[in-house]
Formats: sequence, C-alpha cells, structure tokens
Amino acid sequence: MKNLVRNLNKYKYPYIFLAPAIIVLLIFSIVPIFLSVGISFTDMNIKGLANFNNIDFIGISNYIELFQDKDFTQAILNTVFYVVVGVPFVVLLSLTAALLINYGTSKIFSFFRVVYYAPAVTNIVAVAVVWGFLYNTNYGLLNTILNGVGIDGLRWLQDPLLAKVSLVILAVWRAIGLNMLIFLAALKGIPKSYYEAAKIDGAKKFQCLRYITLPQLRFSTFFVTITTLIGWIQFFEEPMIMTEGGPLGQTNSMALFIYQNGFKQSQFGYAAAGSFILFLIIIIVTLIQFRMNKENVWE
Amino acid sequence: MSKKFLVGVLSLLLTVSLFSGCGKKDEKTPDENGSNNEGVAGEKVTLNIWGMGEEAKLLSKIEPDFEKANPDIDMVVQAIPWDQAHDKLLMAVASQKGPDVIQLGTTWIPEFAEAEVLKDLTPYIDEYPNLDPKNYFESSVGTTNFDGKYIGVPWYVDTRALFYRTDLLEEVGYPEGPSTWDELKDASTKLAARGDGQYGISFDLKDQVFSIPYGWQNGSEIIKDGKPLFNEPEYVDAVKYLDSFFKEELSPVQDDMDAIQAFKNGSRPMFVSGPWMINIIKDQAADIDGKWAVRTVPAKENNLSSVGGSNLVVFEYTKQEEAALKFINYMTEVETQVKWFDVAKCLPARTEAWNDEALSSDPFFSAFGEQMKNSKIAPFIPEWEAIAMEVRKSLEEISIGGADIQTELDKLNKTVEKMLEK
Repeated sequence: MKNLVRNLNKYKYPYIFLAPAIIVLLIFSIVPIFLSVGISFTDMNIKGLANFNNIDFIGISNYIELFQDKDFTQAILNTVFYVVVGVPFVVLLSLTAALLINYGTSKIFSFFRVVYYAPAVTNIVAVAVVWGFLYNTNYGLLNTILNGVGIDGLRWLQDPLLAKVSLVILAVWRAIGLNMLIFLAALKGIPKSYYEAAKIDGAKKFQCLRYITLPQLRFSTFFVTITTLIGWIQFFEEPMIMTEGGPLGQTNSMALFIYQNGFKQSQFGYAAAGSFILFLIIIIVTLIQFRMNKENVWE
Repeated sequence: MSKKFLVGVLSLLLTVSLFSGCGKKDEKTPDENGSNNEGVAGEKVTLNIWGMGEEAKLLSKIEPDFEKANPDIDMVVQAIPWDQAHDKLLMAVASQKGPDVIQLGTTWIPEFAEAEVLKDLTPYIDEYPNLDPKNYFESSVGTTNFDGKYIGVPWYVDTRALFYRTDLLEEVGYPEGPSTWDELKDASTKLAARGDGQYGISFDLKDQVFSIPYGWQNGSEIIKDGKPLFNEPEYVDAVKYLDSFFKEELSPVQDDMDAIQAFKNGSRPMFVSGPWMINIIKDQAADIDGKWAVRTVPAKENNLSSVGGSNLVVFEYTKQEEAALKFINYMTEVETQVKWFDVAKCLPARTEAWNDEALSSDPFFSAFGEQMKNSKIAPFIPEWEAIAMEVRKSLEEISIGGADIQTELDKLNKTVEKMLEK
C-alpha cells in the first residue's frame, strides 16, 4: 500500500496529463461499451426506452436469433467481401500514389496531392449524389462511355455482385487521400543519406525502392493497414447512402444492419448484440495484426 | 468549412423544389437550438413544436396569425428532416425531455403510442371542439386511436392516386385513364409496345406500402386478428398481377431514371404517388402542362388506396399542455386547414375544409379528395414498420431475384407470424 502511494506520488505528473484523455474515453467509449453489452442480453425496445420497467432480461437469445437471421449472416459475408477486396487496394493504391507524388517537387506534383486528397475531405452526401449520377444506368457517364465503345451498359448498383464492387470502388477512391498523406509524411522522414550511400554503391532506382524505401515504411504500412481494416469492418456510409443495403440485401454491411435494427426498428437489444459481435471481430482482427507484425515492426 | 455548412449548401442544391410542401424527400440540417426550455418569459409561455420535412419550415407562415389569436403563447418551430426524425424522437423518448407538440407521420404513431409517450386527448374534446374525431376522414381517424386512447389529431392527410399522361393514354384508347386492373394492364401493354425503353407504368418498389393497396383491392385483409394473410390467394394473386408487369416488361425493374424526367419524356406515362408530386411536376415539367392528370387508382373488387399523412400529438412530458392544445385546436380549424393547403399544399384532414373553392375546383387535388373516400390505413400495429420492410424484401426477391411467388410469400408469412407472436 505504502509502495503504491509512493509510486503514485512519484509518477503523478504523467497521470495528471493522461487524465483528460482517459476520462473522456471512459465516459464516451468504455462505459457505453459495457452498457451496450448489458443491453444485448435484454429485449430493450422503444417501450423499454420510455420506461425501464418494460425491459426484461432474456439471456443470450438475441445472439441465438442473430445467428439464425439470414440477413445478419449475409451482412457478415458482405462485410468480409468489402474488407478482403477493399483493404489491400486502399493500402496498395495509397502507397503507389504517395511514391509517385514523392518523385518530383514541381507544382504539378503538389497539385496532384490536392487532387488525390480532395475526396477524403468532400462530404459523403455530395460524393454520393455525384457517384449516383455516374453509376446511373439511364444517363450515367460510365454507361455512356461504355455505349460509346459499343459495349452494353452495366447495371452498376442494380446487379447484386456488381453493386458491392461499385461501392468498393467508391470507398477506395475516398480512402486513398488520407492514407496517401500518412505515407507521404513517412517518405519525407527517410534520411537522404541512405539513398546517397546506395547511389555510391551503384544501386538502381528499383533497388532503392525495394531495399530502402519499403522497409523504412514498415511502420506506417502497419498503421495504415490497421486503421483501414478497422474502418472497413465498420463499412457503413456508402451502402447507407447509395443503396440502403439493396438489391436483395446484397450490399448490406454489419454496421448498417445494426443501424437499421437499432434506430429504424428500435430493437435496441438485438442491435446491441450485433454491435458486440462486430466489436469482438474488430478486437480479434486487430490482435492478429499486432501478433503478425510483432517481430518485424517493434524490433 | 464545417460539415454542417457543406450539408446545408448541398441540401439547398438537393431540395426538390422550393415549395414541395408535403414532399417527403428532402434533406436539411436542423438547427440544434434548445428544444426543452421551460421558457416562461414574462407573461408568455414558449410552445416548442417539432415539425418534419419541408412543411415544418412553412409553419412560420402560420405563426403570426396564431400568435395574434393567442398573445400569451410564443411558438417555436424546429424543422427536422424526415430521415433524421426517427432518431431525434428516440432521443426525446429516452431523455423524457422534448417538444410539447410533435408532428408525427401516421405510420410511426403505433410505435410511440405503445411506448406511452403520447398524451391521451379524450378528456379535452369537449373543451376544444376541433379535436372531435367526427370532423375527420374516417380512414384517418383510424390513425388516432390506440388501445382505446385518442392520442393524436389528424393534421393533414395524403393518399396515393394515379398520375397519367392524358395525351399518351388517349393514343391507346384511355383518355380518362384506366379505371380497372384489366384496363391498366391493357393500357400498359399497348404503351410498352411503343418500342425499346418505353414502358406502361412505373412501380415504386421502395415505397413501404407499395403492394398493400393492391392486396386490398383484390379482397385481402393483409393482417386479420393478429394473423398475417400474405400467403392467401387474394394477396398472392395481387402480387402475381404486379409481377406480370415486371415479367412482361411493362414496368421497369430497379429503375434509376428520375421519376419526373421519365414522366416528362413519356417513357413511363403512369405512376402511383402522393399529392406532393403535383407541384413537383408543375415546377419541373412545365412543358407537359395540360398533358397530364390525376385520377383514382384502378379498381379490382374495390379501389382502396392507402392513407398516410401526419397527426399532431402532445408529448406526455410536456409542461405546456394548455398551449399545446390551443395550438392543435387552431391548426385544425377549417379556416386554418384551408390556409395550410394554400401555403404548403398539404391535403386537409378535416372533411369540411374540402368544401372550399380552392380544393374542390382544383382538378389535381380534388382527385385526391375523391380517393380519400376510398382509402384505408395500413395495419395499425407497432410492428408494422418492420413488417413492411420484410414485405419489401420479399417483393424484391420475387421481382429482381426471380423467386417463386407462392414459396416466397409462404416464407414471408412465417416471418411475419413470428414477429407478431413476440
């Protein structure tokens, strides 16, 4: 006990500095997580919201029902599709964009930096309107181009599989900007002397990239992968605004499923159970990532 | 450049039209000013009202008159976009703090009534005669009763009627528009034969109640005594009839053509929709003026259409009961109802208001008045919103996924049965 007090006293400044962040996190994240886990074992709906006496404890039946719910399993599968297809593309394309922009310093390069970053700061509603026009089967730009080359127009948002791909394209386009900036910052941080030394040894451009740049970017790649993964497991805005989960629920994601059940149909217990499962998936995926990257990032 | 500002600018661009009074498809950011102050400023009480969509913004036109008649009340309106309204209402329920009067879409009423957050107005009918259910369309009175309580007063109504291009329908022999199912089918077949990309009618599969009126028209009761009838022949045949339009390409499946454009260029010369479309067509398709009309929906055994609209309800936790009732009483005066039609083009819920020249002489709106006499509310149960969603999914499976109709509807019926047992 004495030790503890002495320790606390000794380290009080870091604790004081950490306190605001920890308190905010507690109030707005940690406590709500525990609350929602609690709610997921009840049948809370709008009646329960108005009067807590109407809430009954129903054990794990929400979870049992979830796994029997075809819509939920479909939402999981769709989310897996989004993550597996989308995340590698985001990481690769934003890395490529960063490398290309880093090659030069003239005006045109900084102009393109803005071009690539613009989608990230554009409001999703505006983006959805514009892309909705692009994808339109009757007067969309994409189909007009295809018809121009003599190919039949595609049903971008109507075909169950293609709709998923269309949403991934849109989401990748939106995600590149921010991650590109992270890579760019990391690229700027690589000491010039490495490249100079390599040049003296006669290394080609590609070898520099392979043996200096990419290894130096390991940590930022890890960071981008983790944040992108977490973001994409919670894929929500695109299907919500573009398709509302249709056609045939083929673009519904887990987050959208939770939203529809919780806020549209007021099944709070059921939605909380869904969100707890989503939470577990994210934790597991993140832990696996850390485990995999342990040896080569944290050395 | 805040997000809010962007959304604001955008929604300005997106707003369908300046005066789409009873439109339901607009997005606006609500201003987040306090919505639950006790507000006693001197002699005045503050009455907080939550309105939805475009029409709420037009309430300011009623405000001066109301405040002149009630100098002790200061009315404060918050306009909430339809797509955020449900979330906001949930928050009000959870915190037990909110506005005094709420405009509530009829389909949401059961849900909030069941949560017991709407005041029973039965005791006040004597004092405020405008609240008397006798004043309103029979079908909309159905949306005011829940568990024997009188929980809301009809404010405006809407129903679905058939919009059609008179010139194109004349060419196929129906200058007055089709009046029966068979005629609708025949007209559509002839119209679709005009060529590639030409259809007879466009059906809105995304519409929550889309198939229900067809079920009624075919004699189905949809839900009776707590048992769903989706797999009974009456409803099944109605779905078969609708599906034949998709199968025979008389109606586009998964259409993403702008409805007004499609109506204007004649590729989809008929559609079924609500009164809010009247002004949108007038604004956006002026060049087909005089070439279109509205009529009651085609009949099979009957020509029932579905009733929607909004009621005014008093929030259970209000402290301004008297002011709230005065406001509702004022809004449901015949005179105010007519004025409201003039301002927002919302159809009066009060039957007397329909005798007014402005309504009875308007060919478009009077068709809706006609349709109101043959209309019904969707099953008035708290589960209905969720059920409607399942129905919509099943219809998608049939029309897009090509599922077998009977099998799919059997499945739907089982799902709904389970939902109703809970």
